[in-house]
Amino acid sequence: MIKDRGFFLSFLIMLLSLFIISTSLYAEEKEIKIGVLYPLSGAAATIGRDLQRAAELTAEIINNKTPGVDIPMAQWGGIPNLGGAKIKLIFVDHRGEPDRGADLAKRLILDDKVVGLMGAYHSSVTKTVSAVAERYGIPMINDSSTSPELTKRGLKWFWRTTPHDDYFNKDLFELLKGLTEGKVKGVKAVPKSQIKNLAYACENTEWGSNVAKSLEAYAKEYGFNIVKGILYTANSPDLTSEAKTLTTAKPDAMLFASYLSDSLLMIRTLKSMKASPRFFWGQDAGFEMADFTKTLGTDTNGVLTRTVFIAKIANVKKVAGQVNALYKKKYGDDLTGATARSIVGVQAWAYVLNKAGSIDRKAIQKACNEINIPANELVMPWAGVKFDATGQNILGRGLIGQYQKTKEGKIDLEIIYPFDLATANMIYPFPGWK
Amino acid sequence: MMILDALLQGILMGLLFALVALGLNVIFGVMDIVNFAHGEFLMIGMYTTYWTSVLLDIDPLFTLPVAALVGILLGLASYYGLIKYLLRGPAIAQLFGTFGLMLFLRYLAQFLFGIDYRIIQKGVLIGKSLSLGPFIFDWTKIAAAALSLLSFGFVYYFLHKTKLGKALRATSINKEAASYMGIQTDQMNAIAWAIGGGTVGIAGGLLANFYYVYPTVGLLFVMIAFACVAMGGFGSIKGVFFAGILIGIIEMLFPVFGQQIGWEFLGPHFKFTLVYLAYFIIVVVRPQGLFGWKQ
Repeated sequence: MIKDRGFFLSFLIMLLSLFIISTSLYAEEKEIKIGVLYPLSGAAATIGRDLQRAAELTAEIINNKTPGVDIPMAQWGGIPNLGGAKIKLIFVDHRGEPDRGADLAKRLILDDKVVGLMGAYHSSVTKTVSAVAERYGIPMINDSSTSPELTKRGLKWFWRTTPHDDYFNKDLFELLKGLTEGKVKGVKAVPKSQIKNLAYACENTEWGSNVAKSLEAYAKEYGFNIVKGILYTANSPDLTSEAKTLTTAKPDAMLFASYLSDSLLMIRTLKSMKASPRFFWGQDAGFEMADFTKTLGTDTNGVLTRTVFIAKIANVKKVAGQVNALYKKKYGDDLTGATARSIVGVQAWAYVLNKAGSIDRKAIQKACNEINIPANELVMPWAGVKFDATGQNILGRGLIGQYQKTKEGKIDLEIIYPFDLATANMIYPFPGWK
Repeated sequence: MMILDALLQGILMGLLFALVALGLNVIFGVMDIVNFAHGEFLMIGMYTTYWTSVLLDIDPLFTLPVAALVGILLGLASYYGLIKYLLRGPAIAQLFGTFGLMLFLRYLAQFLFGIDYRIIQKGVLIGKSLSLGPFIFDWTKIAAAALSLLSFGFVYYFLHKTKLGKALRATSINKEAASYMGIQTDQMNAIAWAIGGGTVGIAGGLLANFYYVYPTVGLLFVMIAFACVAMGGFGSIKGVFFAGILIGIIEMLFPVFGQQIGWEFLGPHFKFTLVYLAYFIIVVVRPQGLFGWKQ
């Protein structure tokens, strides 16, 4: 009996101490730290600033009850299954440098003791950061890097919410094919001979060089002809020889994978050379940033860009309009593909933490693998967020937009592809810069 | 035909590279100081042209005197406000001093103008091209090359034909002897910084006609400027002129040449590799640069 009482007492003490430990754990969990790596200075600082704004806005929506947004997380006021703990984003600046990104990731994990990581925009930086996360067994959700290779490395701690470039390049060729079949809104079927010859210029880091490979592969599959393909050094002081190489190949369509600074210089240089392709497409990045049209103005008329978000999506999706309105009110710009992806990145983190109900990394890993965010809770026109075994979201899809000059001389981004979401007639052929 | 075209385009761009490097070389020639903030001087020249042109609604080409003046004042302010004091310390102090100036100017621009990219949209030459048979040249680049030639002519004349210029060259060859001859070396240093700032201010003003303006834009050009100076010979005006043109030609000709001989794998992304390779070879074979030191 005495023995039993001793056992009972020690069991009680154990239970009590567990309770004390767990309450103290919860007390600590009032703030959940996520390390976010973005390029906040250097050539890509503009995009970094916009991404940071979008991420901060999303954290605010989650941490405080936000009326007027019809997503459940806007009514949470913190993570419900973690006792209303708030998400705290710790931003660090990798300047677009992969080695710096890796150092910062280590610092976030070891010094700041973050629960997980997010970022890093540049695929080249995401590659090194995710390698560090893998080594330390810290979960990383990537919101906006699109090099297909990133989810083909068998990582156990890396998940990507955005569709990757293979999806987007396929969309491009679907659009080209649609043009020849008369499926594009406002354009009669174009003979394939008029659009068959393609030329591309891609920047030569992780992202651009993989876009180039993928373009080559799809061109073959869809029966198009690549007459010229070049890789160039990003942030180049001069792109004359690159532009010259493209124009002398006389392609029907020009395709680009460029960050902002190069996309501006390329268009300026091609304009001075009186380049006149029939089709002009940019693979997101520089081509879909708010600064792209702000800087180039009506020179962007007729330029196509792949993206994942266009403000006009609000016409068909209410929550997209609601969040876009909040963002625009605060910062003056519409959301873009990149900034909207940052929103989904933070949202995915919130849902994962809520599902895990703990900040234990194994629990978070399990939650990531099982998460399923329904389509109607996303600002994106996606079918949802659900990761496959490689960590890739399999429910995402891309859009192709076209910049079009309005009667007032402003520039609007209209949806051209998917054909069922088209918001305007496509301008074809590309009007050039006369 | 393509080679000739690339050659001409290369010369146009090269003249601008040379003008960017000119000021760096004058300052080095006279004072043996490498101005790490040179790229930031260029950036400030670009912003000067941008803001003068946009706010006063005048053609960017007519803003060049303002850009030159701002450059000269910036050069003088840097000399009298910082460099003069650094001269009292060891050589390493000068190195860190101009490096600090670089960071200060860069982040000051970021603070004042933000991180948005800006491009001048309106101007008589902007977006216009000259078609000559199969060749198309950007008018803004032709103007930039012509004004670069003019600036070089002016600086060359100043250094070789005027009394002040001769005093400046004397200072650059032997500071001590020059001061014994009654030359105010302190003034000469200030003049070198004024020329350095003025020429790079003009280069920035010309560049802003066809290039975007951004707080870290100087970084892209200053690397080429350093290569220019080392290739041409430290302190040599002739040297920096021809080195600039050589870099422009290599940069433009190389991708076309690769294509002509069927070496497609040598794409444009290798063009600056070749520029720096040429720099490396020249420095190894002729350490004094193409035209020697302080000629």
